[in-house]
Amino acid sequence: MLEIINLKASINKRDILNGLNLKINPGEVHAIMGPNGSGKSTLANILSGKNGYKITGDLKYKGESLKDIPVEQRAQKGIFLAFQYPLEIPGVNTNNFLKTSLNTIRKARGEKEIDTLAFLKLVKEKANELGIDEKILSRQLNVGFSGGEKKKNEILQMKILDPNLIILDETDSGLDIDALKTIADGVNSSRSKDKSFLVITHYQRLLDYIKPDFVHVLSSGKIIKSGSSELAVELEKKGYKKIN
Amino acid sequence: MIENFKINLKEIDKINLINQDDKNYRIKNLEFFNQKGLPTKKDEDWKFSDLREIFSKNFKKIDVNNSKPEENKFRLIKDFDHNYILLINGRFIRSDFKFEDKNKIKITSYKEENFSREQSNNSLICLNNALSNEGYNLLIEKDYKFEKVLVIYNLFSEDLSHKILNNKNKITVNKNSELHIIEYTVNRSKDKFFNNTYETIILGENAKFKNISIQAGRSEGYFHKFLNGSIKSDSKYSSFIFSSGLKFNKQDIKIDLEGKNSYCEIKSALFLNNEDHQEIKTLVNHLVPNCKSFQKIKSVLDSNAKGVYQGKIFVKDIAQKTDAYQLSKALLISENSEFDSKPELEIYADDVKCSHGSTSGNVDENSIHYLMTRGLTKKEATQLLINGFLKEIINDIKSDTIKKFVENKLEFQVYGY
Ligand SMILES: Nc1ncnc2c1ncn2[C@@H]1O[C@H](COP(=O)(O)OP(=O)(O)O)[C@@H](O)[C@H]1O
Ligand SMILES: [Mg+2]
Repeated sequence: MLEIINLKASINKRDILNGLNLKINPGEVHAIMGPNGSGKSTLANILSGKNGYKITGDLKYKGESLKDIPVEQRAQKGIFLAFQYPLEIPGVNTNNFLKTSLNTIRKARGEKEIDTLAFLKLVKEKANELGIDEKILSRQLNVGFSGGEKKKNEILQMKILDPNLIILDETDSGLDIDALKTIADGVNSSRSKDKSFLVITHYQRLLDYIKPDFVHVLSSGKIIKSGSSELAVELEKKGYKKIN
Repeated sequence: MIENFKINLKEIDKINLINQDDKNYRIKNLEFFNQKGLPTKKDEDWKFSDLREIFSKNFKKIDVNNSKPEENKFRLIKDFDHNYILLINGRFIRSDFKFEDKNKIKITSYKEENFSREQSNNSLICLNNALSNEGYNLLIEKDYKFEKVLVIYNLFSEDLSHKILNNKNKITVNKNSELHIIEYTVNRSKDKFFNNTYETIILGENAKFKNISIQAGRSEGYFHKFLNGSIKSDSKYSSFIFSSGLKFNKQDIKIDLEGKNSYCEIKSALFLNNEDHQEIKTLVNHLVPNCKSFQKIKSVLDSNAKGVYQGKIFVKDIAQKTDAYQLSKALLISENSEFDSKPELEIYADDVKCSHGSTSGNVDENSIHYLMTRGLTKKEATQLLINGFLKEIINDIKSDTIKKFVENKLEFQVYGY
């Protein structure tokens, strides 16, 4: 599904990623853990296609290099990033935005546009699963949403857009335990053999609920250790400094 | 070149003059205009809109329009029920007040005697004083609330190439009455022309007046309008400006809050593109205590467009408990676009609440990125943000059908379809 080959990235003359390698097969869930500032969000941004980075190495998605694929086409091809800090977009109605987004992606997949009724039914169903108050969906996108609502809204978008490669950037941060469980349920129910997840987190807590197949430790822009889900437990006990 | 843009005094003889006084007044004004010429950036009020320069770049010649327009076929707005007034090239053609009690409404075409003869330093007002012979005069009797909105179809015909049109309008809403108008400009001229309007609005005690100004589409027109409003106690003046797609447009708005508890609001959502140049200049005079004014101007600028907001709030010494607010926000899409803002406060009373602010910035790249990760192209994402930015103003329109109508017109400007 995804192959990252010797990825080096810098921004504003600052090296952030220093030769990162990672391979994710279809159906797998990988967790990346690392201290603040280790480059987790940078990796997520680069996968989404954000510009501004100087990059060497390669990214392959379903066997195809992502190098010249712009942001929106990555999304259309099934790459989804749940943002660590979802942006507030004033004046843009959440439901309208979700519908526009879904229809552009459906169009790219060669599917018919969804009509309003079918869309509203779909949103209602997914929102209920995630315990999202439907009222917030008629509000402006993320504007005045609580931290938890913003994160849930990211997972709602994931559910609606139905992507193949899902990157969750610290989706757990700032959530209370109930919200964390709902979100984890939302993710777990999406797991399938044609979907892969890259779960980025600072704490092991989330991994109690979303069981990863592999855990990687990111430090100074490199994966310094990989292992099974036990590694996350070990990290939590010893702290990042002692690993290596 | 138009730099020595002068108009022959003989043009005045082509007007139906009412008497010698009228003639003398017009001659005096035209002489003043010929001597002063079009305003330039040296005039404080035209600091950011050098009309002489704009004209010399865009007009090879300019003639006074003397032709009387034929009644033109035009399409009525179907989105909502409305009364209407039809103007062609500023000339009052006819009206239809089918939803109203006609005894309460007086409408006539322009009459010179409806306007006081004042000397102005503004050369465009002088030009208007000298040459105006078209327009309308609308009066609403007291205690009458309009059932439906009144649309003023402001049509410009095909044969206006390099013409200048001067007109004067007057709207009076008497005590306890209510009027809501939509000024809808429809342009058929393929070539440039200049429309110079002087408008008077008088609101009696406890009267309510709301105006939405908007265009049907892009236009080759250059517009200047001076609006002279005077509003009495407990009355409410509300103006929404959505004009987009005009080559040049300056709305010079002066509102005198003359009666206690009167309220004035000016809200605008502008999308400027290409070489569009638009200025909103306001002067709100708080002349008595306990009045409130509110101004919010949101502008989006693309390509080489230029936007200007000059907003002044004046508070007279006796105007205690004044509450005045003014905010301008601009979103610059292109590096070549420009926005100038000059908010001004002149306050002589001590117990007042006045605030003003102005921001301008680029579209937020992170927001664009966020939307693009959901499959939208950069253009779609930008358009969504622009719409979102302007929406705040549109959302203040109370009627859903009119809101939808305005939204469609603005989206047409933003999306180009
Ligand atoms: N635009 C930028 N310019 C300079 N430094 C940056 C920029 N973005 C991120 N960094 C730096 O790169 C490092 C990694 O950041 P980030 O990927 O956000 O870390 P994490 O998500 O792991 O906390 C940090 O030290 C951060 O300060
Ligand atoms: Mg981060």
